[in-house]
Amino acid sequence: MNTIGEYENIEEKSMTPKQRKLAYELISNPPPGSAIAAAKEYGIDLTLLVENLDLTVTQRLRKLYSVASFLQKVRQGNGAGR
Amino acid sequence: MIPDAEKFLTILNREDVEYVVIGGVAMVAHGSARATFDLDVCYNRSKQNIERLCRALLPLHPRLRGAPKNLPFRFDARTVAAGLNFTLATDWGDFNLLGEVAGLGFYDAVYKSSALQRVAKISCRVLSLDGLYRAKTAAGRDKDLEALKEIKGLKDLKERLGEE
Repeated sequence: MNTIGEYENIEEKSMTPKQRKLAYELISNPPPGSAIAAAKEYGIDLTLLVENLDLTVTQRLRKLYSVASFLQKVRQGNGAGR
Repeated sequence: MIPDAEKFLTILNREDVEYVVIGGVAMVAHGSARATFDLDVCYNRSKQNIERLCRALLPLHPRLRGAPKNLPFRFDARTVAAGLNFTLATDWGDFNLLGEVAGLGFYDAVYKSSALQRVAKISCRVLSLDGLYRAKTAAGRDKDLEALKEIKGLKDLKERLGEE
């Protein structure tokens, strides 16, 4: 149930400086056999993930809205030009 | 039109709708770098919740996305109770309502695999990375292969950072 009381103590967090340093180490040299290594090998841009983890959830959603709105404008522009 | 998740969640919370954010927006909330153009939520199918859901969404004039314009559709509690999953276009963008999520089940199971997140001034439940992995695996779409690799990598990264 979404009740107001349930939400009162939820705080937004982004990475601490220590976590940020570790994150960049992990994506630069992923532990062999790890899922991080598998994602990197597959071609996932891990720097984007770390950038996002450095944001709060609100900032991630606002960034998505901004990027998706831009992409939609590009799509509409391409359509109009045909 | 791209939905502004913050605005949508605010009106759902205002009516005390029971829902869990799933899909691409949930992935982004966890840190995914993938763009998505719609908002998916799994909703509780109790009679009271369906009524609250309809009260919240009616001002946005929900209509069936991709359906012929002359196809009769009235978004109300009766219609939602008779259906299950709806892909909707609204005045604020595309919005998908799921009564059941493949790989997870109905609202209660999805709720159990979710956690509270704060988004600006409101809070909401967001499906976990494990839940997203199960849902995307069950969906079995080729386009989700990359998402599955990303989810696993993200989970590993967050665990090593002490966030999961």
